[in-house]
Amino acid sequence: MPEPDPSPHDLDADDDAARRSATRDPTRLLAALQRDRVSLELRTLDLCFLVALRIRSAREGLACFEEPELLDVFEQVCDLVEPGADNTRKRATHAIQRLRDQRLLRRVDGAGILGPGEYSLTRLATGIIDFLLEDEALTRESLTLLTKALLVNLGDVASAARKATSAEDWRTRVIGPLQVTVADLVSGIERRQRGLDDQQDDVKLRIGELLQRDWFESVDRCESLLEVTATTLAELNEVLLHDAAQMTSVLDEIERAAAAADAAAAEEAAQRVSEQIDRVAAWGRTRQRAWSDYYQYIHGYLRDVVRLDPERALSERLRDGLARFLDRPFALLAARAPAIRVPRDVTGAVLRSPVVRPPRERERPLVEEDRDDAARSVEDLVADALAASPSTLSAVLRTVLPHLPPAGRYLATGRATEAVAPLAADTRDRRWVRIDGALEIEDWTLAPAPPPAGSDAAAPSSNAAAAARPRGAP
Amino acid sequence: MTDPPAFASLEDVVRAPQFPDADLALRAGRHVDRDEAELYRFLDDAEPFLVELYDRFACQLVRRSEGYFFLLPRGDRLGLRHFTIAEMLVGQSLALAYLDPATVAAGGRVTRDQVLARLAGLLGDDTLVAALNPRRRRGHHDARVAEETARTEIGKALRGLASLGFIDLLDDERIRVRAPLLRFADPVRGLDEPGVALERLIAEGEIEPLPFEGGADAPHATTPSGAAQTARSEPRAEPDA
Repeated sequence: MPEPDPSPHDLDADDDAARRSATRDPTRLLAALQRDRVSLELRTLDLCFLVALRIRSAREGLACFEEPELLDVFEQVCDLVEPGADNTRKRATHAIQRLRDQRLLRRVDGAGILGPGEYSLTRLATGIIDFLLEDEALTRESLTLLTKALLVNLGDVASAARKATSAEDWRTRVIGPLQVTVADLVSGIERRQRGLDDQQDDVKLRIGELLQRDWFESVDRCESLLEVTATTLAELNEVLLHDAAQMTSVLDEIERAAAAADAAAAEEAAQRVSEQIDRVAAWGRTRQRAWSDYYQYIHGYLRDVVRLDPERALSERLRDGLARFLDRPFALLAARAPAIRVPRDVTGAVLRSPVVRPPRERERPLVEEDRDDAARSVEDLVADALAASPSTLSAVLRTVLPHLPPAGRYLATGRATEAVAPLAADTRDRRWVRIDGALEIEDWTLAPAPPPAGSDAAAPSSNAAAAARPRGAP
Repeated sequence: MTDPPAFASLEDVVRAPQFPDADLALRAGRHVDRDEAELYRFLDDAEPFLVELYDRFACQLVRRSEGYFFLLPRGDRLGLRHFTIAEMLVGQSLALAYLDPATVAAGGRVTRDQVLARLAGLLGDDTLVAALNPRRRRGHHDARVAEETARTEIGKALRGLASLGFIDLLDDERIRVRAPLLRFADPVRGLDEPGVALERLIAEGEIEPLPFEGGADAPHATTPSGAAQTARSEPRAEPDA
């Protein structure tokens, strides 16, 4: 039992929803199409069936088809496309089901199982059929008619925009006409432009085929084909340039009026139509430029290749020559200017020394230091200490050393001992005496101090000199 | 009534704003055709003076009926460029494409694959690969590497031909053919036997024979030392300073 098809209203609503969705978020729309596994699979027989239905409905003014009519049309198509096919009834049933599954045909009666159904073509089907049947192309006459109608409509809309006082006025007299009447007229121009694009492609193919088939005899026909298309494009471009400027000016006026009245929707509608018109005008420019290039190329080809080689012998000879090229190869010659020499500034040659370790002074350089006054100051201190007539060396040292820094006391002890030595009594009995926490000395007994001058007292032997040692030394 | 000449003297020609570009292009070996409208028009107008000028450099300014100019050194005052084997093969294949009405239907555009397929169809895969691998030793080869080298050579040849004004590289795949490609058909023009025509062109200094051992029947033919490539990189002589 056939599933009830969605109502036309539902389908249109679905289409509108899809279009809105695509405008807003194409990614989501694509994801939804992928999720639903939307696809179309049409055989030639199915397409012919659809086209035949469309032609019949147009010819007989039918809004829908009863089931017997569908079967009748399918049988006629079968006779033409696949003559002698068996089981046409069964095949028709399958074909109708395929078309319904792909939303190209829908049942519209709602009777279900109670009786044979009535069917109509969906918008998808009519879109496909129109594409196949469409032979509308832009001509000077059609373009002039369309642009004049557009200008009249835009003039009315501009007048309404000037007089609009309420939101209802803007909606019904400005936005509505812009979105429906004006947009449809511009779409009509665009559709015919696409038709003319197809015609140009056909002309190119035809020129190729004519040359392939007739070569030299086709030159005149090729040239006339080129001329006709070139003239058409030039005329269209003239009309577009002239009328597009006028339309844009009227649309600007509508936009200004809408902006002044705070009618954002009307402003947006006018902008949209303006963009469409820009697109139409740009089409004219690009197509004329592209055709101009093609025109020159083909004329060059006809002049330089076809007319100079009417027998088409050159291709044959070149093909043979290429096939035998390696038997006796040769090279074409051309000029080859050397690269320009750019003299550089004169600079000294950079000599790089071998990599070695940097030289190092083996002996440390002499360092000049301040004169050491320590000795003199030690002797002064000893002299001061002796003034008090000490009886032992240790007494002298205990007086002297506290005036000196601890690090220099060991050396100072030697110097002080040397200074005191002339006074030392010659005795073998020497005691070790601690001077401070770090030093011990072998103590001497000192004789009384000699007279200041002319004294000739004998100094003790060097062996008698005091031996000082730091504490802990052997 | 004819238009007055555009230039009255060589000085006018040299002072023209197009002269530097035209001169540099011609000296670099470029073939200037109608597609380069401004330069072509300039050369068309200035031809009598430029012929005289380049004659002093021992060069001939050649103009072909198909609508292009190029400079051909006749002596040793300007460097000479020899086309490579790959450039010659690809150039002839492109010339065939230029003559083909099927290319007309495509608006003068061919694909790289079509060029390769035509070459392989006429010469055979093995011969083509051997011709484009001049240093490959007989029997010691890796087919994959040799084919890769052949493709590389063809890519280089296409770039070389584009720099000389024979074609436009529209993208990696599509090529626009131009009128100077008919220069590759020079040896087979006219009613002469191809060999006779070749001798005549050699005598006129338009082409030079290339050393190449073997031929279409020798699938592993080699050039002795890649002479074409060597000749290309060594101009015959430096021009006078």
